[in-house]
Amino acid sequence: MKNMRTQERIANGFIHSILGILSFVWILPIFWLVLISFRKEPGSYTSYILPKSYTFDNYIKLFTDTSLFNYPRWFLNTLIVAICTAAVSTILVLMTSYALSRLRFKMRKPMMNIALILGMFPGFMAMIAIYHILKSFGLTQTLFALVLVYSGGAAMGYYISKGFFDTIPKAIDESAMLDGANKNTIFWKITLPLSKPIVIYTILMSFMGPWMDFIFVSVIMKDNYQNYTVALGLYRMLSRENIFMYFTRFAAGAVLIAIPISILFIYMQKFYVSGITGGSTKG
Amino acid sequence: MVKKALTSIHDLFNKYIMCFIKGDLSTRLSGLIMGFGMFTRGQIIKGLAYLFFQITFILFMIIRGLDYIIGLQTLGTVGQTRIFDEVRGIYVVYPGDNSMLMLLFGVATIFVVISFFLVYLSNLKTCYANQVSINNGIRPRNFRQEIDFYLNEKYHVTILTIPVIGTFMFTILPLIFMILIAFTNFDKNHQPPGNLFTWVGFNNFKDALWNDPLKSTTFFGLLIWTLVWAVLATALNYILGMILALMINKKGIKLKKFWRTIFVITIAVPQFVSLLLMSQLLADQGTLNVILRQLGFVKDFFPFLSNGDVAKFTVIIVNLWVGVPYSMLITSGILMNIPVDLYESAKIDGANARVQFMKITLPYMLFVTGPYLITQFIGNINNFNVIYLLTGGGPLTLNYYQAGKTDLLVTWLYKLTVNEQNYSLASTIGIFIFLLSAFFSLLVYNKTSSAKKEDEFQ
Amino acid sequence: MKKIILLLSALLLVASLSACTKKKTEVTLKVWGSQEDQVMLQEMVDAFIAANTDKIYTITLGVVGEPDAKTKYLEDPEAAADVFSFPNDQISGLVDAGALYEVTLNKAAIIAANVAGSIDVSTVGGKLYAYPVTADNGYFLYYDKSVFSADDVKSLDTMLTKAATANKKVFMDVSNGWYIASFFIGAGNTFKTVDGKKVIDFNNATGLKVGEFIKSFTANSAFVTGDDAYLKGNIGTTIAAGVSGTWNASDISTVLGANYAATKLPSYMLGTTSTQMGSFAGYKLMGVNALTKFPEEAMALAEFLTNEANQIKRFETRKLGPSNIKAATSTTVVADVALAALAAQAAFAISQNSVPDSYWGPGEAFGLAMETKDYSKTIQEMLDAWVLQANGS
Repeated sequence: MKNMRTQERIANGFIHSILGILSFVWILPIFWLVLISFRKEPGSYTSYILPKSYTFDNYIKLFTDTSLFNYPRWFLNTLIVAICTAAVSTILVLMTSYALSRLRFKMRKPMMNIALILGMFPGFMAMIAIYHILKSFGLTQTLFALVLVYSGGAAMGYYISKGFFDTIPKAIDESAMLDGANKNTIFWKITLPLSKPIVIYTILMSFMGPWMDFIFVSVIMKDNYQNYTVALGLYRMLSRENIFMYFTRFAAGAVLIAIPISILFIYMQKFYVSGITGGSTKG
Repeated sequence: MVKKALTSIHDLFNKYIMCFIKGDLSTRLSGLIMGFGMFTRGQIIKGLAYLFFQITFILFMIIRGLDYIIGLQTLGTVGQTRIFDEVRGIYVVYPGDNSMLMLLFGVATIFVVISFFLVYLSNLKTCYANQVSINNGIRPRNFRQEIDFYLNEKYHVTILTIPVIGTFMFTILPLIFMILIAFTNFDKNHQPPGNLFTWVGFNNFKDALWNDPLKSTTFFGLLIWTLVWAVLATALNYILGMILALMINKKGIKLKKFWRTIFVITIAVPQFVSLLLMSQLLADQGTLNVILRQLGFVKDFFPFLSNGDVAKFTVIIVNLWVGVPYSMLITSGILMNIPVDLYESAKIDGANARVQFMKITLPYMLFVTGPYLITQFIGNINNFNVIYLLTGGGPLTLNYYQAGKTDLLVTWLYKLTVNEQNYSLASTIGIFIFLLSAFFSLLVYNKTSSAKKEDEFQ
Repeated sequence: MKKIILLLSALLLVASLSACTKKKTEVTLKVWGSQEDQVMLQEMVDAFIAANTDKIYTITLGVVGEPDAKTKYLEDPEAAADVFSFPNDQISGLVDAGALYEVTLNKAAIIAANVAGSIDVSTVGGKLYAYPVTADNGYFLYYDKSVFSADDVKSLDTMLTKAATANKKVFMDVSNGWYIASFFIGAGNTFKTVDGKKVIDFNNATGLKVGEFIKSFTANSAFVTGDDAYLKGNIGTTIAAGVSGTWNASDISTVLGANYAATKLPSYMLGTTSTQMGSFAGYKLMGVNALTKFPEEAMALAEFLTNEANQIKRFETRKLGPSNIKAATSTTVVADVALAALAAQAAFAISQNSVPDSYWGPGEAFGLAMETKDYSKTIQEMLDAWVLQANGS
């Protein structure tokens, strides 16, 4: 018995050390990013590892030196787009998933199949067409267009919240219906309040999208530099002619968006897990 | 599937013909003037809406729509012209047809026609239903009742309209447009508005598959690598994520939350940041090589990203860094749900940890996360970010057309559009990617029952 | 008295103008320039507006750098700038796409004002399509005076030997068709247009010798490769000399300080003969979008932005080498170290007009194979593959 306990203790010690090493490996690039963001010397490739001197300038200049890279403006743009996208796509996704989960109608199965098929096409194949559709409405190069692009097809991502709605017992709906509620009332007054985790999950996921994308935004915004989002702006800092001077500032800008997103993600990880696994687990 | 579609079309026409055969005068007139059978039976607002729709449609078709549909046949015949203007002293440019817009608007018009047709049928159906219900002594719904009807029995129509329109505009229409592009010669020599492009049938498909040796070598080379990548990336991420989850969740491991948070942080850093950083780190002159050189492991540098075979290995490893935290999060939730008694009885049978993992944990996990794995697999076939940001598809090779050793089909597609403006070949690749994804999902969906069990909960 | 009359008449004029229903024509134009040029371009545009008060100009700037100009233009020509600049290798693609207005106004004056090479690359099929902006889009050698003497940098082999003993490196981005061409051009390999098709002959006997030299060069322990950022970050410390262009001049001169020097490319030993490295003569050009609504005004703006005064302004603010003959021969320009080196290299430079479109990808692949010492195929096989891809079937 005692022997087994020692064995157990050795095993645990071993696992602890593996976890330690792995954490080190995983956190190292991020640590390096933070380190660069405080480095005083410019340049992306250096023949040494630790910065020779440290400074806050990279952070300060992001907000003060806006002649080439208007980081504060882009940050604000992204925030506006993210909030609007979160609002619009959450409503679209929840409506779609509610309909596909709770209502029964002839087109239900075909619609789900179509969504499944559409999901298999590589997304940015359609970019050029989307651009010209927006252009025929005179919407290109605006933040509004960006919101439309990010949330327009959002309904396709109904899958996770539908999984959640599927787990809410139908009996609740039925008893409400006996009380004379129509389906509209049931959706807004009963189902949604019961689905807080998935609502939060949907909001956060769509909120995070605009912070990450740099492809769609570059197609939509083209040369309209004032309407760039943070991701595209940071990406531009790494272009061939800018990388030498702006690499450290890029790191600072990246740290600044990584912090809020990390906090959001850590907060919502359990919703994420239950979302993906169809609400069948306790995170 | 095809048979089902045919019967439903047949039913549709049946219904429509029935409306004419059995309908009275005002129902039949609704076939000419939409909403007529609603006016005569007290549904004024609804009738007006239908009529308005009909008038708008007819006006649209006369002013623009017909031209758009006719334009689809040729995709434009008049090219851009330049005529010297003596007075101004310049060559004035007169725009010609724009093949791309003609295709886009043509496709959109076809959809307008289809949707008009559907509304037209619903108009007939409603008018006929009105007639029947009046014959049965029931008054058709008034406006107020209509609204109630759409908030309850027909609630799906109400809440799905906007999502469907959105999906239509931003997913379906663009996709059909791009699929059609695959059958044209839209490339840098046929680029609107300066030049016209036109239909070329299956030429692009033939080029990619056998006609053009360079392109087909590239296509098949990248196809194999895409599959190898997708299998390895999915499987390794999944298994290592699960092992990590098992380690963190093991009884007696301290600071569970701390370990998990560390891995989660790496998810939260936007991929374009972490991956671009990695590519700097792993470059020939990057930080990792500086360290290796200082420690004396390499004389010059180790070609993490610049040697084809090494780079393939590197991207898979880096993808572990990106992906393992996700699968750790997901699997750890499910692992805790495995009934403990399964392990207890296995222990009594003398199964060791490895056997327990192979006989209990893995099968259970595969069962629950089947659909997740499929999505992951398809996601990896289309994993643009990791490849594009890390290696840019490189290192380039002399054997491929505009592609490198680590390019996936999807990054090749992107490069073809951005660097080469070869939209037609890119669209062709896109269709192949779709076929690939569809093939594998069908294969797996047919084997798992998870698609069928959605009603079990309710 | 005179003043009062003038004032009155001016007032009358203003009144009559405002009363008149026919206003001055309003012209809206957009100009593309790289991010670093924005401030400078804004000043030039303001000067243009101030000099042309006969029309009401609204001129906006868009951020699109020269290397991206063609791609961004082709994405949506209607949304592209009315006036934009691009490196000369993009001109044939742009002309093929019907993107550019032919220059017909003041053509003779423009041709006379700029160096012949710049007019040559602006001309496609005998027609002038662009206004030359700079003549600095080429490359030459930067070196650290504390390591190399002016004599050392005449020969690549001397440089490599000396760098090796000093434990320093010689930098060149060999995995780039633009730079690697310098060896082939020097040895006499050609880019030619035959029956309207652009072809290269890098797989002949000369090309093979060049290939073998590149192999030995990249295998030399004193050779190092990388990108601009790597060169700028390490010159003066580990790197003693590097091949690059004027766009890095200010950064490199800051890093090297008193040891900053630049010259033409060195010669190398091709077999037993010493061969001067060649290069591409690069220019930046400005073109007028064929879809502009205001062609005359756009042309006037393009002409203004590329005139002598503005080329000098470009040199003063951004160290960009002028293509305008008068500007190029002004004393400050001639005294510039980097531009002098470029001028010295110009004698061995060729135009990019006959470079096949698909030359670059395989060129990079060849260079990369050399850099990573991937010798799984023979040099001849690799050159054959390169030529096959570049020339097309």
